Amino acid sequence: MSRKLTVVLLAMLVLVGAMSLKTVVVTHGDGSVIMANGSAPQPPTPWKNGSAPQPPTPWK
Amino acid sequence: MLGPYEYVVWLLGTLLECAVLVCAFKKNALRRYVLLNVYMAASVLFSIGRYNILSHYGFTSKEYLYFYYYSDSLLTIALYFALVSLYSHIFADLNAERYIRLGTVILLSGTALFSYAVVQQFSSKLVTHFVVELSQNLYFVGLVLTYILWAAVLKMRETRTQLIQLVLSMGVYFSLFAANFALQNLYHSRGSFFEFLTPLFGCFLPLSWAFTFWHVSEDARTVPSRLAVVPR
Repeated sequence: MSRKLTVVLLAMLVLVGAMSLKTVVVTHGDGSVIMANGSAPQPPTPWKNGSAPQPPTPWK
Repeated sequence: MLGPYEYVVWLLGTLLECAVLVCAFKKNALRRYVLLNVYMAASVLFSIGRYNILSHYGFTSKEYLYFYYYSDSLLTIALYFALVSLYSHIFADLNAERYIRLGTVILLSGTALFSYAVVQQFSSKLVTHFVVELSQNLYFVGLVLTYILWAAVLKMRETRTQLIQLVLSMGVYFSLFAANFALQNLYHSRGSFFEFLTPLFGCFLPLSWAFTFWHVSEDARTVPSRLAVVPR
């Protein structure tokens, strides 16, 4: 039982570490995503409609 | 629009992925590293599918866009399982197969739950947001897992050269993408340069795996633990 709990704890630690690393890497990000499978050209993200430059937020 | 550079690098990457499968088949490593080869085969198939869709509908079409991101998510999951299969190789002597399987399922479920928690605020395109977020998060989980695996290789004094090279190539591959992505975010003015590098990095993993399967025999041994020894 304790071994299983250790596995659960380790999995959670890995998840926390990975998400912390992701936070560090994308801190200054512009919403782009990292794609790391194959060398096919990456299209714009699905929620960016068109390639027009993004205007400043309306509440500024 | 796509230029000749993008097409050449894409073709090169796909040919290298095919080369991995051929080298693995020739050197009888197809079954030994079955999940690594499944990942490469899936990568080749998706590459062909992406090209078909791109040539039919165009680069900016929704068809290519959705196929690209959904297939990338599946490839990331395949890469995750390929990485876990390397854990099974390293810990084969400890009979830890059961615990590795348990950890794999928990980590994948945890990542999926976390991804859902992040994207649930979006009212539209929830599934697409989830698919891309899961792919992103799983990528970083893979990065951390690779470094842990390298630590395990050193700690367990693993000597199989082929296995060591496969682990190291994965570490370099994940690190290249993460570093490139971080620098791209830091230096937006030079974004096009980093975007230029990204597809080239995609060729690294198939190149290193093809090299490993072709040049390194199964019986070759090396001592990576010496790297960890601090000389007095």
